[in-house]
Amino acid sequence: MRRAALTAALTAVAALTAATACTEDVTAPGHCPDFCPSGSINGVDTVLQTVVQRDSAFRGFVQPHEASSLLAATLPGVIDSRAIFRTLPIGDSLVVESGTTTMGEIVGVDSLTLALTITRRDTSAHNLTLVYYRLQLGIDSTTTFGGLAGSWTDSLRSLNVDSVYALAGHVDPLRGDSVFVDTTTHYVTVIAKLDSAMAPFVPADSGKVAFGVRVVADSRASVALGSVESGLGPRITWYAEVDSVGKDTVPRPASTSDQFDSFVFNLVSPAVDTTLDSTLAVGGMPVARSIMRFALPRAIRDSVQISRATLVLVTARPPEGVPADSFTLAAHGVLADFGAKSPLSPDASRVATTRVHIGIARGDTVRIEMTDILRSWQIDTLAPTTLALRQVPEGTEFPEIRFEPSTNTGLAPALHVTYVRRFPFGKP
Amino acid sequence: MMRRTVGRSDSRTGPRLVAALFLSVSLTVRLSGQDSQFSVRGLGVPGRWESVRARTTGGAFGPFDPRSSVADVSLTDALQLTATAAEATTYRRAEIGGSRDDLRSSRFPFMGLAGPLSRRFVVGGGFATYLDRTYSIVTRDSQMLRGAYAPYTDRIGSDGAVADLRFAAAARLRSWLAIGAGAHVLSGSSRQTAQRIYDDTTFLGTTQTAVVRYDGFGISGSVALDPVPAVRIVGYARSDDRLRTRLGDTETDRTDLPTTLGAAVRWSPSPSARVAGTVMWRSWSDAGGFNTTSWSAGAEVGAGPTPLRFGVRGGQLPFGPGTVAPTELGVTLGTGKGFSGNRALVDLGLERLVRTGGGLTETAWTVLVGLTIRP
Repeated sequence: MRRAALTAALTAVAALTAATACTEDVTAPGHCPDFCPSGSINGVDTVLQTVVQRDSAFRGFVQPHEASSLLAATLPGVIDSRAIFRTLPIGDSLVVESGTTTMGEIVGVDSLTLALTITRRDTSAHNLTLVYYRLQLGIDSTTTFGGLAGSWTDSLRSLNVDSVYALAGHVDPLRGDSVFVDTTTHYVTVIAKLDSAMAPFVPADSGKVAFGVRVVADSRASVALGSVESGLGPRITWYAEVDSVGKDTVPRPASTSDQFDSFVFNLVSPAVDTTLDSTLAVGGMPVARSIMRFALPRAIRDSVQISRATLVLVTARPPEGVPADSFTLAAHGVLADFGAKSPLSPDASRVATTRVHIGIARGDTVRIEMTDILRSWQIDTLAPTTLALRQVPEGTEFPEIRFEPSTNTGLAPALHVTYVRRFPFGKP
Repeated sequence: MMRRTVGRSDSRTGPRLVAALFLSVSLTVRLSGQDSQFSVRGLGVPGRWESVRARTTGGAFGPFDPRSSVADVSLTDALQLTATAAEATTYRRAEIGGSRDDLRSSRFPFMGLAGPLSRRFVVGGGFATYLDRTYSIVTRDSQMLRGAYAPYTDRIGSDGAVADLRFAAAARLRSWLAIGAGAHVLSGSSRQTAQRIYDDTTFLGTTQTAVVRYDGFGISGSVALDPVPAVRIVGYARSDDRLRTRLGDTETDRTDLPTTLGAAVRWSPSPSARVAGTVMWRSWSDAGGFNTTSWSAGAEVGAGPTPLRFGVRGGQLPFGPGTVAPTELGVTLGTGKGFSGNRALVDLGLERLVRTGGGLTETAWTVLVGLTIRP
């Protein structure tokens, strides 16, 4: 009986204790100053005008033949750029019949289809037309627009992308052309058919062939074509006639991709002069980056908590192009400051981006929110406080923007930072 | 024989269960006192050095209770090893300027251990809350940022307390005279937080935290006189030197602590009725606050293991706005239950407290649970 009473009582006490022990709500609105702590949170909003103390621009990070896009543009008065590529050989013989290993010599071709992927286009440019040219096989990374001057006189044919896309099934049954749009990526795949007169099979070249592509439209035309670096490079399919071992000839398809691709361009406008000066160049072709070195006040690096930090850049030379040429500008932290060869940090928190739109004017400001970068510098005090301004992705846009450098007092890059000072803990 | 064996087993089971409960509760939670909005300014709210038994008499029995640490001389009544702990859950309401906030918290404000070394000499010790430093204040305001007002919410909080670690001894010199003395190590910490959240999420919120540590030292002494068997008079004093505040290795503040003087009288007209009254003065002006005088009166009715206790207390709080010390007034009610031949004691209590000052009225209901074991 006593044991039962004791157990019941202890159970009741334990239940009461447990029921009341886990309650906590001590948060109440403050009625200041009488019933608020003596210390307060002190927020500061300031612009650091001289925080960037050294900067410089470098060019050549991505060459045209390294780019993930083949840039083709016809922007009168600005730039004329054309894609060039050379395909892989297919050999001099093909399998006669599927499922066998019997090879037959290629004795001729019926036709060839050339597939190009447009990864970016200006949708306001109507009657977008691709014009195809046959080029010499000797094109390489040293090929220039001027060096191919004689190759652009006679086109093989042209393909109006908008017209073909408007047809039923997006297929031109008469010419064998077709256009497909990926609804997810919005990439446009353009397949053009070239007959044997346009693309003859040269046995001595084993089927290697080089083409150039120009783009025109009713208005300013600018597109990006997928390159072999992006996995979306030009692809051709030969429809060849094969000697069926003395019996007859049979048509056989043979597909191949390109061996080399690039683009050549002619900078028409002096405004897109690629010569570097004291300004901070970003983008363009060959691609330019600018390195900015920050000298943060010790208090900001060590003793405050940053709510927001915005890099303010003043445009010294605006980018030129069509609206679709608007690009992403990134302020990218580096692992070590080796100038032009500074390795970029793989840490996503050390990358801040903004969108630069075609149409901004000289003197306009470009702002990049870089709060995370500044916070990462506070955490990792050994990290170099250096940023690389770059285009993302690089080599996919022609426009180049230039910003006022730190030497231009009054227009130099500035850091607008909002932060909270260290709270006076430990004071009654 | 069998029944006796079972009976002995029962008599040990209770204290063991209580001990297990006592240890499981007391060693896994932090020590703190009662929260109050009056702890926001100054050093905090002074804790109560009372067991649940003493607290449910309004604190009047504190100087006489061997389970409390108000007066060291009370240890002389600890005739066997005794361990005690208290749990307090408080439901508060703070009203100021027409606004009302309901708050709640649970604390374990007191633990003690005492036992005789000889028939006349008893030692004891334990923890009690010296100052409570728990609060969380939320304010709304705005700041001009980048050409526009940016509203934000600030939350400043402190979660912790200064604990009083006591080592005490008491001796009965005569049948009518006893003395006691103690040394007090003040130690504690509070986790402080300062947080700002902007309504505009483009401004990231900031949160700063720090663990602030406190230390200090004090001594106490007391004397008890029994002029007649039914009356005991206790006088006690305590002097604490200073409270040092550290943030990491840096001393951020040093504040003098008060001297405490108190006196109490208890009258036991019969074995089943006891009444007591006490008054205490503390020189909190040494710490930048108001000197305080507190009083209490209470009674315990009923002999045996289930007495009825009640009391009333009043006084001042040392820290508050303005030029007048905030005041508090409380009434208490409680009881207890002994088990296994009083080897395990459970004390239950309810306290109603009203604190006023600086336009703030704070009312609180506190549920008290005390556990005592005498193995």
